[in-house]
Amino acid sequence: MDVRGPYLLSALEKVFTSSGCYRAFVAILSCVAFLLLVPADAVGQGQTADFSGRCLVCHGQEYLGRVAVEGQTKNLYIDPELYEETAHGLLPCNSCHIGFSTDPHSMVSNAESFAEMAREACRNCHDDQYEMYLQSYHGTLTREYAEAPRPAEEKPPVCVDCHGTHAIHKVGGLEYKQNIHLVCGKCHKGSDRTYLDTYHGKAVNLGRQAAATCVDCHGSHSILPPSNPESTLSEANALETCRLCHPKASEGFTTYLVHITPTSPSAPLVVFLVAVFYLALIILVFSFGGVHTLLYIYRGLKDKLYFGKGEH
Amino acid sequence: MPRGIDSKKGVQLVYRRFSAFHRFNHYLVMVSFFGLALTGMPLKFQDSFWSQLFINAVGGVEMAGLIHRVMAVANITYFLLESGYMVYYVLARKGPIFGEDSIVPSWKDWRDMRGMFRWFFGKGPKPRFNRFTYWEKFDYWALFAGTILIGGSGLMMWFPEEATSILPGVTLNVALVIHSNEAFLATGVIFIFVHFFSAHGRPESFPADQVIFSGYLPVEHCAEDRPAEYQNRLQSGTLEEVVQSAPPEGRRRLFSVVTGAATIFAFTAATYTLLLILWPLLF
Repeated sequence: MDVRGPYLLSALEKVFTSSGCYRAFVAILSCVAFLLLVPADAVGQGQTADFSGRCLVCHGQEYLGRVAVEGQTKNLYIDPELYEETAHGLLPCNSCHIGFSTDPHSMVSNAESFAEMAREACRNCHDDQYEMYLQSYHGTLTREYAEAPRPAEEKPPVCVDCHGTHAIHKVGGLEYKQNIHLVCGKCHKGSDRTYLDTYHGKAVNLGRQAAATCVDCHGSHSILPPSNPESTLSEANALETCRLCHPKASEGFTTYLVHITPTSPSAPLVVFLVAVFYLALIILVFSFGGVHTLLYIYRGLKDKLYFGKGEH
Repeated sequence: MPRGIDSKKGVQLVYRRFSAFHRFNHYLVMVSFFGLALTGMPLKFQDSFWSQLFINAVGGVEMAGLIHRVMAVANITYFLLESGYMVYYVLARKGPIFGEDSIVPSWKDWRDMRGMFRWFFGKGPKPRFNRFTYWEKFDYWALFAGTILIGGSGLMMWFPEEATSILPGVTLNVALVIHSNEAFLATGVIFIFVHFFSAHGRPESFPADQVIFSGYLPVEHCAEDRPAEYQNRLQSGTLEEVVQSAPPEGRRRLFSVVTGAATIFAFTAATYTLLLILWPLLF
């Protein structure tokens, strides 16, 4: 199958359906012109050549897209200005998109080979992190997944699932800290909310840099489940991890439960009972107080007791 | 008989209800409670549009934490002073624990409450209150008990390492649930449902009751709002102990200004809480 087909289809679709058909038309013309006019040998081997500028002939067009295999349209536009502000902003496209040339499209025919390519690309510069990742639970799951594919929703994360792609920013800073729970929460649903409900979460959410986020306790590239003895949160290691911020912590400190919902029966019984007791008490007191207040006002207005003081 | 104006001297007479100690304690708890709510509520209602705004207004979340701790110390001071007074009252002054002037709940409070509901519907006369009404007793003891719970849980979270060196970690989970819910309960009771209404909203005190700031109220107001107390003192001949001539003009004006400021303070506090709580529900 001609892999350019989807591009043209998509572009044609834009021509007939989008209000920006003129720009789409320009985009197609530019692509065609590029393919015809740029000599293949100039970029063909392109492993080391900086051809950012040439990539952007097509990928700098806002309407560049393709219809993916699943039938969804995928936007292939890269905003050069936004990209330049990222941590990789000075790197040419082919430092990550290894082996891409003027005819790159056969290499990205399926998402799996793309993910594989992306991991290798990250490894080229971030070898330490890559090795840690391989040893981590995420890395183990990825290997298992490659051998025995499961539904796409269960796909374990590779580098780009946490870090993103063209918008990778340096780790650190408040914005990073305030968003990390959303990244983990993409798969670990519910844990982002329970984190936010702790003082760590509340403090970070409202602007405190010093409070812990997911990765401060769980680790990142070498992350392992707490059940694994090597985990930062295993019984043997949890105290050491807590002491990174709370030097005076003792064993009891490590048994504080971060990811619980107090009003859920799955919470420890004492927490659940206290939460339910308060819920009932608050409803009782507020409704009684509210009714009492409203009736008092009603009587006061009816008997014209307001504003009439001193005349009794 | 001291009622309204002393016929001999021609000066206005007032009924002295609160001593300087109790007024001081009220100032202390008023300022510290609002300081605590101001800096704590945005954490509870962190999803509210206003929480970040309010936190920024007090100088960031670190500053909010510092203010919260300073105010906590002031609030604990109120609690210690009030507890000390209770001990002093019972042991040194040998004051009666129960009885008509006492703040300890009695069966009359239950009867008064039923009487008030009858009165609300026009089916009976307004109950004749003693020195403290049932809602005042509720306010007083709810605050006192609440301070133990919220102060205790707050201290645990202020010093988590120390707390968990003796207690299991789940104590901190319980502490957070108590602190957060008790704060919500107390704020609702004080700012919205009970206390501000009895101090500002009910017809007898509308738009503001200055007695807790000045310590006195006109004798005729006392006779009207606390008829049983007034009658008791009249009959036992102890009315003279609490009736005095009104303070000079300058002091009276000062108390009016303080009461006005407290009213603005109260409505600011109520609006603040409502914005935080209602905003996420509405938008």
